[in-house]
Amino acid sequence: MDNKVKFNTKNLDLFYGDFQALKSINMEICENEVTAFIGPSGCGKSTFLRCLNRMNDLIDCVDIKGEIIFDGKDINGDIDVINLRTRVGMVFQKPNPFPMSIYDNIAYGPKCQGLKDKAKLDTIVKDSLERAALWDEVKDRLNKSALGLSGGQQQRLCIARTIAMNPEVILMDEPTSALDPIATLKIEDLMQSLKKLYTIIIVTHSMQQAGRISDKTAFFLMGEVIEFNETPKIFTNPDDKRTEDYITGRFG
Amino acid sequence: MTQKIKDTIVKGVVYLATGITLCVLLFIIGFIFIKGIGLINWNFISRDYNDTTFYAFVQESNSPTTLDEKVQENKSDYDKKYETPLEAPVYVESIGAEITKVLYKNYTTEKEQFIISYISKGSPLLSAVNSNGTSIDVSTDFVLESVNGNEFTGMSTEEVKTLINDQSGELKIKMVEPGGGIRSNIITTLYMILLSLVVALPIGIFGAIYLTEYAKPGKIVNAIRFAAECLAGIPSIIFGLFGMAFFVVALNFQISLLSGSLTVAIILLPVIIRSTEEALKTVPIAFREGSLALGATKLQTIFKIILPCAVPGIATAVLLSIGRVIGESAALLLTAGTVAQIPGTLFSPGSTLTVQAYYVTKEEGNIEMACAIGIVIIVIVIILNILSRIASDKLNVFNKE
Ligand SMILES: Nc1ncnc2c1ncn2[C@@H]1O[C@H](COP(=O)(O)OP(=O)(O)OP(=O)(O)O)[C@@H](O)[C@H]1O
Ligand SMILES: [Mg+2]
Repeated sequence: MDNKVKFNTKNLDLFYGDFQALKSINMEICENEVTAFIGPSGCGKSTFLRCLNRMNDLIDCVDIKGEIIFDGKDINGDIDVINLRTRVGMVFQKPNPFPMSIYDNIAYGPKCQGLKDKAKLDTIVKDSLERAALWDEVKDRLNKSALGLSGGQQQRLCIARTIAMNPEVILMDEPTSALDPIATLKIEDLMQSLKKLYTIIIVTHSMQQAGRISDKTAFFLMGEVIEFNETPKIFTNPDDKRTEDYITGRFG
Repeated sequence: MTQKIKDTIVKGVVYLATGITLCVLLFIIGFIFIKGIGLINWNFISRDYNDTTFYAFVQESNSPTTLDEKVQENKSDYDKKYETPLEAPVYVESIGAEITKVLYKNYTTEKEQFIISYISKGSPLLSAVNSNGTSIDVSTDFVLESVNGNEFTGMSTEEVKTLINDQSGELKIKMVEPGGGIRSNIITTLYMILLSLVVALPIGIFGAIYLTEYAKPGKIVNAIRFAAECLAGIPSIIFGLFGMAFFVVALNFQISLLSGSLTVAIILLPVIIRSTEEALKTVPIAFREGSLALGATKLQTIFKIILPCAVPGIATAVLLSIGRVIGESAALLLTAGTVAQIPGTLFSPGSTLTVQAYYVTKEEGNIEMACAIGIVIIVIVIILNILSRIASDKLNVFNKE
């Protein structure tokens, strides 16, 4: 696969106050691929993911060194954060639909960008829900509160909400950890179909999931990327002993 | 064994304390109700505190109405409280009403007057109009002072009857609607609530937004918070003095609705800021992150996501504020005055219910009326409580199906 490089990080260090959570990360993430981050709890996967759309701005004591090049520009430099976040969407670990109707949840992002045309909004809502494989389940209750949906539906709604912005990259932080196996499978299928259109980066604790859905996998440990390679290679023949230990469950 | 005894003692103390609290509460409320309930009727709520004098134009009845014997037996539904009859009631055919000469006294005056003690069914008084042509609700306890310019002072009831019956055509009767009501105080209280909230709510909410969403935690924020807490603890007479010196004198707003409501608005600010801040803080961070991750700006996030979530909390703040305005007396006494009238403009004085209760107790020793006002206040507070609960339920974004 010779896809274009979407994200390129160079010597990325991140500090929470005095604590260094990321240590000199160099990684190239390619377009139209699913990249999975695996690693033990607290190793910095979420932290790294949140760097990519600058969600760490919300935390006060964060200090970032190094570069994150996105389509040729350093996103920590002089760029428009709002624009970056419309191009790099994010789905969180816990489904977080807004306490408003299903329709309004999807229309929220486009409306914030100033889109007012009701007909266009309607199409966006329908399209996004269809692409998130949720349309059939909710088409009769678009004006009901999103909080009435099941956990799995809520998470797909959050994905639909992200798709509605038509982003280039979708970041997903353990999107299925709160869901049952069937809902999980639905979301995995969804990712496979979405990957043709978007670049997907996913954090997961499930080896099987990483193996099933990702093209490339990065193994994080204590804030470092130990190994980053094609997924089959990581799972069958890793270069590093620590990766092998983690994957086979002999870790720690 | 000793543990058991200790437990029993502690339990006893707890029950005792609860019992005492309950008893005191019941006693106070009971006292107010028993003392005041006698005054509560529609007239009390719908009439002004001061007597109102006006001219009523009445078409003299051509076929004189006769006294309805049956009703006459229990016609004594006029307010006898301040009145002692001096002469027997007399029926005046041409106005279809019975008048009585009474010694009328309230807490300040005492004089002889003719009052309407009974109005028969076909009485022309029922279709009386004032000089503008609007109809008047003449009722039994209005005072009659003159007819077509002939004063009644010094006359006997029979003389008055003859005088009225001798007139022909349209009668121009000077009447007095007795005061003693609290309509102006109710309206002033509502004005005061509305005005002070209009001033304090936006400032308080924006202040709370600044404190929770924008201000970097540090010395300045702590100082502001500390100041707000201190403000909340300062007795309201101090605010009253400030309002007096600043709004009334320095800005020359006079003792008025405006001075009063601005002073109360200052008193409300800490309450509103604090409860709004609490409400904003409880909005889950996941909503903020979700919104920002969709490319919303901070401002959009605050106004479209965070504030709607905080509405129930803000509704609580409004309720607390209303309670505060209703309960406020010291500060308003100094800034809005004790004149029981409906403020015509922002710069006219007016007294709220609580101030009026203070005033009638202190100046007239009229505890009964104060208690009656107390009942009205309690009822208003209960109604507001229910309303705000309904409102916050309706507005609560988490409740919607
Ligand atoms: N806001 C914060 N302030 C200080 N330290 C933090 C903060 N967030 C995370 N950390 C620390 O940074 C390290 C990496 O955290 P991160 O959330 O990225 O781990 P993770 O790999 O996503 O773990 P998990 O799999 O449990 O989600 C952890 O040691 C954590 O304690
Ligand atoms: Mg994580």
